[in-house]
Amino acid sequence: MTTENQVEYALDKPVDFVIVGSGSAGGILAKELSTGGFSVVVLEQGPFREAKDFSHDEFDVFMMSELSGGAAHPDNQTFRDDESKVAEIQRTQGPAPAMYAPGVGGASVHFSANFWRLREIDFNERSVLGAISGTNFADWPITYDELEPYYTKVDWEIGVSGAPGPFDSPRSKPFPVPPLPIKSSGALLEKGAKALGLHAQAAPMAILSKPHNGRPACINCGYCMGFGCEVGAKSSTLAAMIPQAQASGNCEIRANCAVYELATGTNGKMSEVLYIDPQGNQRAQQARAVIVAANGAETPRLLLNSANAAHPDGLANSSGFVGRNLMYNSHANLSCTFEHPLNDYKGVQCTRIVHDYYESDPARGFYGGGGFDARPFLHATPIMYALLGQPPGTKQWGTEFKDQLAHNFNHQMTISCGATSLPLDRNNITIDPTLKDPWGRPSLRVTYRDHDDDLATARFLQSVAEEVVDAAGAIQQWSHEVEPQRGGPHLLGTCRLGNDPQTSVVDRYHRSHDISNLFICDGSSMVTSGRGQPTMTIMALAFRAAEHIAAAARANEI
Amino acid sequence: MGNSGALAGSSLLRISVPAALALAETACTARDEAHAYQTLTSAEARELDAISARILPTTDTPGAREAGVVYFFDTVLGDQFAGQLGGFRALMGQFLGGIEGRFAGAKMFSDLNETDQDAYLTDHDKTPFFGMLHAFTMMGFFAMSSYGGNKDNIGWKLIGFDGRGAAQPPFGYYDAQYMQGERDDD
Repeated sequence: MTTENQVEYALDKPVDFVIVGSGSAGGILAKELSTGGFSVVVLEQGPFREAKDFSHDEFDVFMMSELSGGAAHPDNQTFRDDESKVAEIQRTQGPAPAMYAPGVGGASVHFSANFWRLREIDFNERSVLGAISGTNFADWPITYDELEPYYTKVDWEIGVSGAPGPFDSPRSKPFPVPPLPIKSSGALLEKGAKALGLHAQAAPMAILSKPHNGRPACINCGYCMGFGCEVGAKSSTLAAMIPQAQASGNCEIRANCAVYELATGTNGKMSEVLYIDPQGNQRAQQARAVIVAANGAETPRLLLNSANAAHPDGLANSSGFVGRNLMYNSHANLSCTFEHPLNDYKGVQCTRIVHDYYESDPARGFYGGGGFDARPFLHATPIMYALLGQPPGTKQWGTEFKDQLAHNFNHQMTISCGATSLPLDRNNITIDPTLKDPWGRPSLRVTYRDHDDDLATARFLQSVAEEVVDAAGAIQQWSHEVEPQRGGPHLLGTCRLGNDPQTSVVDRYHRSHDISNLFICDGSSMVTSGRGQPTMTIMALAFRAAEHIAAAARANEI
Repeated sequence: MGNSGALAGSSLLRISVPAALALAETACTARDEAHAYQTLTSAEARELDAISARILPTTDTPGAREAGVVYFFDTVLGDQFAGQLGGFRALMGQFLGGIEGRFAGAKMFSDLNETDQDAYLTDHDKTPFFGMLHAFTMMGFFAMSSYGGNKDNIGWKLIGFDGRGAAQPPFGYYDAQYMQGERDDD
């Protein structure tokens, strides 16, 4: 319905909630609170696309970055790997320092939809392993058992395909729909893993294998990673939550509206949200409470940009933890070819994963753990394959190159390893001292350098992957050396949950320690990074936060 | 051009093949009837065609020339990459400028025989111009044909990409084998 039939709220009458951001967290909060009877205005800085706007046009989507904010970092975000340096706009290829997706549904629209739950160990790992010096490694203020009902809510309400794996933490209800059909990459991963005594399991994916909740099953078109799903089988909040929020009659979604400041009133509490509307006018929406769900980079930027006389270091920042502890998850990849065709461009990205090295093992000599999967990765579509999917060091033109292109596309796959990142003071989101974005808002500045243990974990997983694909019968394999990351789409930890107001930004219910009617819920809430697939957890946190925020509102405690 | 992509994508579920073909046919017809370039000069187009034909040469299968990548360049350098046209032209000038001093009697890349073309490219395949043209050639060879290149889906056919936009398992050899194994176990 996009926006033509939705409710419209006046700017100068306080709505119950303004939610900044409509992605994995914001979309769920909007649905839960609006269907719960509260008036909600969602401010989304990107456009309101519909399923019919999603194309298979690789040039438009990847080369012109249609779904991730337009070509070449227009928001002028800057990067440095050390705080002694001046941060600069990244002109080289590669992901933006803080890669995210403006638009209703956020990155859940174009993500690959890997949907790993965290495990029990993720929530109390600090207690189990002990402190790690020089880091902010900490336990979560909640346990897996407390979050489990909300993981299950995500499974059923958002829609997750899968089957239980040998290492999964307990689940209270089975998956609503079975795993998606296995692909050759999955079969090969399973074969190689088995040969090494490892355990491949069906990949949990937020893509429907069967019709569910009135939405259709996947048609295996292969346009998942980086693309929106034109049939609505991918379980984005755009497909699964936004329609219900709008149908409630209590939710107004304002797209192409860029929030630049959260304003506090004379009582010190949040009073209104200032934004620039699609026509370029400055607007102010009054609200009883504000929920920031703008992603792990935009959320801290907004809080820091909202500094005022009463909050000179930014809102909710008495701890100084707003923007700190940015975690990208560490990553490694390995590509390989096989004798027979895989045709891995068809179907969803991942059908099998390996979690044998999920837990940290002191015997390895460094902290960290992770998992890996087999997939076409960025080589599922022809242009990206031609540009990024070739073995390094081979000639990139001529007859041999053309023959290699022609042969490998259907014979190739990639092992993608995702792993832990430690929370560090030095890795953070701050405000760039000089640059502004096209709306005039001071730009994001990212400072990041992977911890040595995170790099070691990624290298370790890559070396395991080498053995796995060897055992699976790979003819040729190649990898890119694991190097410190200079950007990424996982933006975690920058407004962490915690019981201690000195070392966290929000309490265990996502209420800011400093301002009682300011809530924060998105990737920034995560205390540790998990093992590389954070969206399932972000969504579970949002369902849980919504329940507690609604209860507080009903009790007049916001 | 964003619109044409959205159009093709939105229709892929039900009428994907006819819609994609219609788009491709429109693009091809337009190209065959009018060779006038919108952005490039004929001389520039001739050189870019010659260089890209060495990046993806015509062998026993069609290459960049048959795919019409130069028409893709003409499209996007006047639209999505218009901001890069000036820089691209300057780099192309530098690239071509070295030919005269290296090969007697030649001024342009297209004046050279294939052996000399490859020798010249070998010396220049680390330059920014080559990097740009290489990327453009890959895009022109593999982007939807509505952008002017990838004529008759030549690029897709070369690598075995069916472009149908939907599939049923088994997708490849190893999953078929896996499913067979599961059936044998039953």
